[in-house]
Formats: sequence, structure tokens, C-alpha cells
Amino acid sequence: MTPSEGARAGTGRELEMLDSLLALGGLVLLRDSVEWEGRSLLKALVKKSALCGEQVHILGCEVSEEEFREGFDSDINNRLVYHDFFRDPLNWSKTEEAFPGGPLGALRAMCKRTDPVPVTIALDSLSWLLLRLPCTTLCQVLHAVSHQDSCPGDSSSVGKVSVLGLLHEELHGPGPVGALSSLAQTEVTLGGTMGQASAHILCRRPRQRPTDQTQWFSILPDFSLDLQEGPSVESQPYSDPHIPPVDPTTHLTFNLHLSKKEREARDSLILPFQFSSEKQQALLRPRPGQATSHIFYEPDAYDDLDQEDPDDDLDI
Amino acid sequence: MAAVATCGSVAASTGSAVATASKSNVTSFQRRGPRASVTNDSGPRLVSIAGTRPSVRNGQLLVSTGLPALDQLLGGGLAVGTVLLIEEDKYNIYSPLLFKYFLAEGIVNGHTLLVASAKEDPANILQELPAPLLDDKCKKEFDEDVYNHKTPESNIKMKIAWRYQLLPKMEIGPVSSSRFGHYYDASKRMPQELIEASNWHGFFLPEKISSTLKVEPCSLTPGYTKLLQFIQNIIYEEGFDGSNPQKKQRNILRIGIQNLGSPLWGDDICCAENGGNSHSLTKFLYVLRGLLRTSLSACIITMPTHLIQNKAIIARVTTLSDVVVGLESFIGSERETNPLYKDYHGLIHIRQIPRLNNLICDESDVKDLAFKLKRKLFTIEWVQDNYLRQERNIYPPGFSYLLKQKDSAWGEGSLQHSTFLMSFLAKATAFASRLVRHSEPLKQNGSGRIRQAAGPRLWHDGRRQEAPGLLGIPP
Repeated sequence: MTPSEGARAGTGRELEMLDSLLALGGLVLLRDSVEWEGRSLLKALVKKSALCGEQVHILGCEVSEEEFREGFDSDINNRLVYHDFFRDPLNWSKTEEAFPGGPLGALRAMCKRTDPVPVTIALDSLSWLLLRLPCTTLCQVLHAVSHQDSCPGDSSSVGKVSVLGLLHEELHGPGPVGALSSLAQTEVTLGGTMGQASAHILCRRPRQRPTDQTQWFSILPDFSLDLQEGPSVESQPYSDPHIPPVDPTTHLTFNLHLSKKEREARDSLILPFQFSSEKQQALLRPRPGQATSHIFYEPDAYDDLDQEDPDDDLDI
Repeated sequence: MAAVATCGSVAASTGSAVATASKSNVTSFQRRGPRASVTNDSGPRLVSIAGTRPSVRNGQLLVSTGLPALDQLLGGGLAVGTVLLIEEDKYNIYSPLLFKYFLAEGIVNGHTLLVASAKEDPANILQELPAPLLDDKCKKEFDEDVYNHKTPESNIKMKIAWRYQLLPKMEIGPVSSSRFGHYYDASKRMPQELIEASNWHGFFLPEKISSTLKVEPCSLTPGYTKLLQFIQNIIYEEGFDGSNPQKKQRNILRIGIQNLGSPLWGDDICCAENGGNSHSLTKFLYVLRGLLRTSLSACIITMPTHLIQNKAIIARVTTLSDVVVGLESFIGSERETNPLYKDYHGLIHIRQIPRLNNLICDESDVKDLAFKLKRKLFTIEWVQDNYLRQERNIYPPGFSYLLKQKDSAWGEGSLQHSTFLMSFLAKATAFASRLVRHSEPLKQNGSGRIRQAAGPRLWHDGRRQEAPGLLGIPP
């Protein structure tokens, strides 16, 4: 059984994650950090797209070609088109390189291709490019490369383009990272706990709500993916026990609930400012016992006649 | 390759048709003087431009933004010659909708469009405009749609706070005579023949710019320079500023600029905090405002302000624009689980309304506006629990909790509610009047656990605050 058949016969779940990352096309941003490195995931994606028959271009800037090709078998290695910018990044040896403009020239050349084969471009790494090129230029070129196939009219002529960019989050401020993630169709943030790596995948389809999911995985030595369940819940030290919602009305000193009779009485209550006809009649009728009630009041020493003026300052 | 994608014929000008119809008029009175022998086109004295109306407050000429609810919030519409800035939401889902409504309104009214984008081809943007709803059978669909979503709690009559029920409701369905604002069906596309019959100009940045231009410091980025030149050319050639005497009816130019300030325009304010071109965007807005004020045009700009690193630039941009509307969607934020917002997709903030030829602006006093995108319709409403939230600003928070309980003995109309309210408000007014007279609060003579006459500190240091509880926190 050839390795390609073996890969295609892999578990459905394994294929799902890589497929979903590659299916949308456009810019796929892999954000990694020192603790959770992303190059192995990048290589897994490269291997997957090579096995699917796509044309794979690698722009190697950060590691040498031997190190990148390590772990791939010869079948895949033959399918990769590797552009090496690691050995001679400033082109001092002045040899006849295929892309004289450096990595930017290589990307721009890829904007202008016309064949219908789907292409995957792996940038190893996008951080290297971001540190050496102006961010706006890089964004413009990435957008041009990853959106060649978005015209509705001639979608059949140019194949789908996926650009996989490896971005080291700690090297950049929030500005460039925010700008790149607003351009990206899919964003994978690598993290994990206690030895298990997780990928938080955020898919931004145009004009639809972004969907996100977290997937626990590990990468096998031959760069195939092994999906796993998350770490067990009991091992987390700070899981709070399920507290039932407290009903605050249980221990009050006053009554909050109304019985049916009380509710009826409340509904039928006439409010003081509601002017009904009975009230009008009551006010118009002359009051019977007006002369009989008197109020006798003697103010004592502490009584405040003017409650608004406690110091008795006002000279009214 | 044609640099400017201009589309075919001008919309059939109805001006002259109307003039001829009115010539065969019912009255036999003839106007004496030089106007008696005048031709058809200059018959009516006041030329009114299709799709505009004067504001009822100050006579300013207004155009519709495409959403009648937003028009109502802005005081009738967007004034001709001004800029509407939309601060995009985080995942840029809802701001393109407002952008498209604006352009669709232009097509329906026969205005000229100018669409500028660095991300998408303007022709593609125009293909995705929503279809207008122009006849009455759609009104019935809308009414059903609206009533299906009414919750039963909204029908509780309020006995004490009955004035809250008199608050004006926002219009969400089509009105009968909508010559000014139209309604659109977001699930359908605008028919192709309407798009082709309209006059539009597109500016797609990757086609216009060559990549190896050197940028001088402190000047506009080349993308912005080209865009300004393009706009100026269109305004001059088509006579929107009155320079060429127009043979046809005067019209409005609607300009739409998408994602201004993003790195795709070559501007690095989203990437770096103190970039070299930090004044480029503000200069662009300044020049754009000058162009707009001298021509019959209105502009909508969407800007990803959540990406801008230097907050001072956002403040400058807000000052340089006229109307600023911010969209905040609930996706991914903790407000998504808040039951107060469960029916809505986001909040809409009206951050600024211009004072055009006025000393005061027409700001509505409603602060809690939320939007939701139903399948067909984009609606803007007040958040439903507005009543209780306003109540909480008067009462202490513990009390409004008691009010919210179903069948509570403290509900409206109960004796407990009324006496509590009266004593609470009496204490509040005494406290406030004491503050006014002596400018110092009441001396705390007790143990300190209960603050003496704790009134609602509503206007502490000039800003309205939440009412504190009755039990003060011990120091």
C-alpha cells in the first residue's frame, strides 16, 4: 500500500481537521508560540495537500531546506517546490535565482499564474517576512495572492489558492497580528495544557458568522495528525463544583410572594393619581364633618419647623 | 484595459417628463413676463433632486442612508455634503450591510455612485446589493415577520410608570409613501437591470497602483492620493460641483469607500502605533470633506477602528467626519450570553452627529440601541429592558431586583412600592438640596455601616453613574 493510499485511508476525523483548514482557501494563519510550536502542523498540512495532488510551493526563510524536508518521504519531497531564501537571504552570491525579487518577488510572481491546478503556498515563516518587509506591502501581496480565485465570473480558470503562514505571536505587537488576522480566512492558534496540544480554529467565511472550535491533537513522526479528546476534567486543579443557584427569596423577613387573593386586591387597587369618576364625585360632594376635627400641636425643643433648613440660616 | 469601470447609460431622467406632464395643467392662468415663453426644462422654479428632501428642522438637504431607522436616529437623514463614518464591527459582518444599503438607495433613487475599495472589485460589490421592496405585498410579509418576534412581556401595561409606554417606537416596517427611504430585502439580490441602468464609477486600488512607488514622509499614501484625484475628476466632469452647466437634471453623487485605513490601502495605522504615515488618513479625510462640501455628494466610509493602534488617531478621525456610527457585534464577546441582549446581534452607537449651520445638533436622547439582522431585514431597536434599566438609575439596584420578581408584593401598584418610593425620593431630594446649598454631603454620625441619607449620586463629577446601594461599603 503506497503511503498516499494509506494517508487517504486514515480516520475520518483526522482528515476532517486538515481538510477543513485547507478547504476554505485563502490565508490560513498558524499562530504559534515558544511553548507550542507550529512548524510540525505546517508540515502536516503541506504533506496533506501534496498527497491531494495540489501544487505545493514552500518559501523557506527560517530553517534550512534539509531541516524542512526532514521527516517527509521521498514521494512527497519530490512534489514540493522549494524556494530557498535561508541560505542566502540578501542574494550576495548573485547566482541566477528563479525569483530575483526575494520572497516578495516570489509571492508577486505567484499572483500572476493562470493554471487551474489548486496551489498551496507555505510561508515559513510569515514572521520572518513581517520583520523585514513593511506590513502594508506584505498585507497587500498576501491579499492579492490569496484572492485570485474570488472573481465570480472566471472561477474555473484559476484554481483555489491556499496560503499557509506560520506566525510567531510573541515576536509582534498587536498591530501587525491584528491586521493579518483580519485578512485571514482561517486562524489557528496553538496552545495546550499539560503536554497536550490544542488548536483553536477560527473560520471567517465572508458575510457569515465566524465559527470557532478547539481541537486537541498530536502530530505523529510521519507528520500525520492524531486527533484526541481533551485532557480529563478531574485533573484540572481549579474546577469549581457545580453550585446550585441560590434563591435569594428564601430567608427574607418580609413576604415577596402574593397569594391569589392578594394579587386580585392589588390589581383592583385604584392608584392615588388615577382620576376615576368616583373620585371626582367624592371631591365634588361637600364634606360632612369638616368643622369637627382639630389638630392641637405644641412644638417641643428639638422640633425643626423648617425641615429644609437645619441651621436656621435662612432669613425668611 | 479601461482603468475606470463606468457603466452604461444614465438613468432615464424623469425631470423633463414631469415638466411636460405639468405643462398640460389644469389652470388657464398664464405667467406674465419673461417666463411665459420658456421651454420645458426650466419651467419649474425649484428643481428638486430625486431622493432628497429638506430637513424639517433647518432646511438642510438630506439624503436617505438606506435604512429608515438610521435616518430617524440621525435626525431625518444624511445631509448632502457630509461624511458618514461607520466603525466596523470586529469580524466585519454587519458594516458591509450598511454600506450596501447606502449604495442600493442610490441606485433606487437614480443617483450616481462611486464605489472605492481595496479589497473587493466594485463590480462584485454592486452585484451583491440587496433588492428593494417597492410594492405593497411585501409589506404584508414584513408585518408577519415583525409580529412573530414580539414577546408576550412587551404587552404588560404599566400602571405607575405609564409614561414609559408613551415613548415613541422605532419604525421597522415599510410606510406607505416612502419616496425618501426605501426598504430592502437582504436575502435577495438587486435585479441586474437596475444595476445596469445606473451610472456608477468604480475604484479598485490594486488596478490603479503600481507597487514600486516611493512615498515621501508626511504626505498622503499613494492610494489615498489616487482616490482623491479620482473623486475630484468625477465631481468635475459630471458637474456635481456646478462647474459644468449641466444639461440634464442635477443629481447627487453617492461615494462609498470600504475599509479605509486598513493595510490594503497602504496605510499602516493598523499595523504600527507611530508609523511614518500617521497623518495620511487624517489629511485624506480633510481633503475629502473639502471636496464634498463644494459638491452635491454624500459619502459613506467604513473603517476598521478596532485595528487602529493609536487611539488619538481615532479621536481625530471622529472629529474630521460628520456622522459617526459605531457597530459592536456580540460575536465572541461576553455580552452574547447576557439575557438582556439575547434577541439582538449587536449594539449600534451613534457617536457623533454634526452641527451643520446650527449651534446644537439633533441628537436623539436614546442611548441603548441594538440591531439585529433577521433573514430579510436589518432592524435597529431599543433594548427591550429599557424600562427596567432606566428604573435602575432611579432606584437602588436591590429594589429593581425586587420589582423584577413575578407576582412580587413590591410590584407596581402595591402599597409597599409606593411608600418606599416616596420615602426614597424624599431622602434623595433632601440630600440633593443639601448638596446644592452647602456643597458638602451629610456628616456621617453613625457607625459607618449604613450611610446616612444615601441618595443616588447621579451627577457625581459631571457624569451620570449607577445608583449605589443603600448599604454603603464600610471604609
